[in-house]
Amino acid sequence: MDYDPEGGAINVRFLQADNQRANFIVQNFNLETANSLRRVMLAEIPTLAIDVVEVLDNTSVLADEFVCHRLGLVPLSSRGVGELLYSRDCDCDGYCDQCSVVLTLNAKCTGSEIMKVYARDLVIESNRPNDEVGRPVITDAEGTGSCIVKLRRGQAIHMRCIAKKGIAKEHAKWAPSAAIGFEYDPANKLHHLDYWHEEDPEKEWPKDEERINLDGGPANPDEPFNYEAIPNRFFFDVETVGGLDPDQIVVQGIETLQTKLASVIHELQGSSGGPDGMDLGGAQSPTMNGGAYGAADGGYTTPGYGGASAWGGAGAAQGGTTPYGATPYGGQGQGW
Amino acid sequence: MTELDGANAHSWNNRIGALVEHNPACGLRDNTKDHRHVTHKADYDADDRFELFLLDDGQQKIEHKEETRVPNTAIFTFNKEDHTLGNLLSQRLLKYEYIVFAAYKVPHPLFATFELRVSTDGTITPKDAIIKCCRDVVQDLGVLKNSFTTEWLGKKIVSEGEAERIARENNTY
Repeated sequence: MDYDPEGGAINVRFLQADNQRANFIVQNFNLETANSLRRVMLAEIPTLAIDVVEVLDNTSVLADEFVCHRLGLVPLSSRGVGELLYSRDCDCDGYCDQCSVVLTLNAKCTGSEIMKVYARDLVIESNRPNDEVGRPVITDAEGTGSCIVKLRRGQAIHMRCIAKKGIAKEHAKWAPSAAIGFEYDPANKLHHLDYWHEEDPEKEWPKDEERINLDGGPANPDEPFNYEAIPNRFFFDVETVGGLDPDQIVVQGIETLQTKLASVIHELQGSSGGPDGMDLGGAQSPTMNGGAYGAADGGYTTPGYGGASAWGGAGAAQGGTTPYGATPYGGQGQGW
Repeated sequence: MTELDGANAHSWNNRIGALVEHNPACGLRDNTKDHRHVTHKADYDADDRFELFLLDDGQQKIEHKEETRVPNTAIFTFNKEDHTLGNLLSQRLLKYEYIVFAAYKVPHPLFATFELRVSTDGTITPKDAIIKCCRDVVQDLGVLKNSFTTEWLGKKIVSEGEAERIARENNTY
């Protein structure tokens, strides 16, 4: 691309890939897009979390709102949340099977031992669009999930939890990632960092030799400073909470950002009112029509926040249909 | 003192009930069930946080204003967007040779909006420059996604095979 002095193609190299994290390097990329991708992965990927709690009984030592707060933070599986509507876009009053998953927590301590109530004790009650969405995430060896409350003899807790789809911009409980590592230029060859030091920053600051070697080695002290150099290699380390697979966080992050940009294109073209009929075909990559990863997600859904209204109507997402099929891009029914 | 507070001031119980009832983040307390049936929003300290990303009624996503004092210049106000898009567009625009100026600002940190000012050399309108820029980014992201999924599959297969091999070796001991 014209902005890239090396002229190489954008590519990804993995350092680690498992169920928990995706540690990878993006090469020949640019800082602003990499950072936007990071921000989108942090805050704008839809997931599922408990949003409303009906307290039927709570004689535990924790106050209602205390327990409710804890419930909200319990990670739930978000694989297949695409099949749920945002509650605010749904036609129902309050909540229904199309926009929520209902879980109940019902426990009473009858023995003399202190009883712990865990995330595994959340029982799904509603009809879900698929078997995965809404299941409490359990990754520990004992298979219990996180502890919600402890009960003494005679204490009981009974709550009805309504889990809804949302994004982390509204509340951090909807964040899909536990942490996203993001770094470029570990050797500080670009001088974007000005290390505080007493005598010599070279001696006083630790160095990540491995990363530096992955990024072309340390700076050559004999070479003059290249003030035109720009960062082009980015280290990402995406760790999932458990609701989404780490690769799905990245892929959905990319798709969310693409959707955001597509809405800008559409909005700007629409405001001209011109019949130029520019179609998005030109800007698409060949992978867009569902590559190997199309299984969970049939291409683009609307970014349901804002609903279809963000693009001026076409209430296709309403009416109890699936969220698929409502494309933000003018008349194109299918495609990316 | 509002009328509500005054009316309920005589009783603590009523007052708490009123507080719950009139606090949208808290929901309703059902007096018929011994005050025990309560609906809560699971952790909300501020409501209407969706105002960060949902357009208000009748609000446009992008407002476009020509700058009359400088040629080939326009200011675009993006509503319900933040630095994610602002920085991406302004920085990316600077890489095109026909862009004379591109920068964005967030007028106030509490309002989810930013203003993008774009000047071109006249060979293209600011609006078309943004459209072109968006398309190029979408394309780049497409390439990235393609490469990512391929590499992920490859690495996953390798690391799963490795884990299996280690498990097998451990079993032989």
